[in-house]
Amino acid sequence: MLEYSFMQNAFLISFFIAALCPVIGMFLVLRRYSMMGDTLSHASLAGISIGMLANQNPVLSSFIVVSMFSIIIEWLRKHFRTYAELILVIVLSLSIGIAITLLSSGLVHANIDSLMFGSILTVTKSDFYWVLFFSVISLFLVYRYYAELMFIVFDEEGAVIAGANVKLINYLFAVLVAATISISIRIVGILVISSLIALPIAASLQLEKSFKQTLWYGILFSYIDIFSGIVLSYWLDAAPGGIIAINSVILLLIVLFYKHKIRSNKKRIIQE
Amino acid sequence: MLKIDHLYFSYNNVKNLLTDINFTLNDGEYISIIGSNGSGKSTLIRLILKLIEPTDGTINNTFKNMAYVPQRFNQLNIHFPITVREVLASYKKVRHNGCQDISEVLNLLNLKEKEQTLIGQLSGGQCQKVFIARALLGNPDLLVLDEPSNGIDVKSRDEIYELLANLNKSKKMSIICVEHNLQAAVKNSTLLYHIKKGHGHMCLPERYAQEYIKNDLGDIKC
Ligand SMILES: Nc1ncnc2c1ncn2[C@@H]1O[C@H](COP(=O)(O)OP(=O)(O)O)[C@@H](O)[C@H]1O
Ligand SMILES: [Mg+2]
Repeated sequence: MLEYSFMQNAFLISFFIAALCPVIGMFLVLRRYSMMGDTLSHASLAGISIGMLANQNPVLSSFIVVSMFSIIIEWLRKHFRTYAELILVIVLSLSIGIAITLLSSGLVHANIDSLMFGSILTVTKSDFYWVLFFSVISLFLVYRYYAELMFIVFDEEGAVIAGANVKLINYLFAVLVAATISISIRIVGILVISSLIALPIAASLQLEKSFKQTLWYGILFSYIDIFSGIVLSYWLDAAPGGIIAINSVILLLIVLFYKHKIRSNKKRIIQE
Repeated sequence: MLKIDHLYFSYNNVKNLLTDINFTLNDGEYISIIGSNGSGKSTLIRLILKLIEPTDGTINNTFKNMAYVPQRFNQLNIHFPITVREVLASYKKVRHNGCQDISEVLNLLNLKEKEQTLIGQLSGGQCQKVFIARALLGNPDLLVLDEPSNGIDVKSRDEIYELLANLNKSKKMSIICVEHNLQAAVKNSTLLYHIKKGHGHMCLPERYAQEYIKNDLGDIKC
């Protein structure tokens, strides 16, 4: 399996996105904004189509377009606080509109299947370098602003009073979300990206650990989901996106079951 | 010193919530702000903390280092995965200058053994104390609290007021405290500021206790 260069590329890319998705997902989920992944993945479809039109690398063009939409969402979030989901719907409509128009008009020719469901056959070495570039920078920035990001999701107002540059960090985070989505699309596909962002964290939140431990467990779960997904998709010859999504739901269920069992064991011990 | 002159404030949907507010807080004073629910006490605090801008009037603030204990700890997301230590450490990291030792502040509030506990597993009183600990980390010269004793156990409440009185007396820390607890307000503060129907007036705690209460008790829960 590893003798194929596309499998090597797929594993290399997965190594980075499996770390980045739950890290970004942690902050999105705790902000009650996990659907942002879904909206922006559709924006990335628009970005990829525009990139093909302009003959650019899809990861790069997607990053530019998704960043733009992500920044707009962050800006609107301030102004439409009560209608946060509506903002996501508006941006989703606009981006899916652009994408469908470009793809259906015959101006660009893309393999829609691989965009939607993810693919390990089509990833290239140049994709890998873009993934490496964006994920190293993104992970570094999260590491650098970890305290600020944690403070802001916990208590945004308190962070303002404490003197954190909340506005700047929120916009920076919006760009990090864009980067994460743009690099993950190739492997996991547009339809599955939001489950990869939310589900490993949903599972690790069940463990009721500290912020840091929750994050590390999220990363661990994400590695399990993605790598088992890629291996299975190779054997089954199915799109990786679907299998990764199923795996992450199964893992979440296992964690829930395990937690439930521990709880009832504890109860029994107390009763005895 | 904090000097508020002819301050007006309206929200989009609540016009003239505060009208012509005037007061001065000198260094080392402890003011309790009282008034019925929805009278605009928290709004006044948010104005002082510069979270919102006044519709009209000025706030002159020479305090360099304000800290805030929010009202809404009781609407906190109790499933948020964060330990007491992480709450304090992130504050310290963000302030990055002149913070006290985390363990020292935890000792001050009797929270030492709760250091690794998740916020959601604390009692209301312990949780409030964590927010007070966070506020004290940066050695503030003005401490602003919003109803610190609301919905917490008697023991924590007494500890908190003893600490506030102590900080005010021995460290000369200036304090602004929105207060439901009239007893505590009268006992600890140097001044009372009462907001009613948009207007405010300052009075001495003893006088308030004697006279004002008779006419106005229905207005305030105590
Ligand atoms: N962000 C806001 N936007 C609009 N109205 C608000 C906002 N915050 C508070 N209010 C309204 O302003 C009034 C005063 O609120 P508040 O200052 O919290 O009162 P208090 O703290 O004295 O109970 C209330 O009627 C409340 O509904
Ligand atoms: Mg209030």
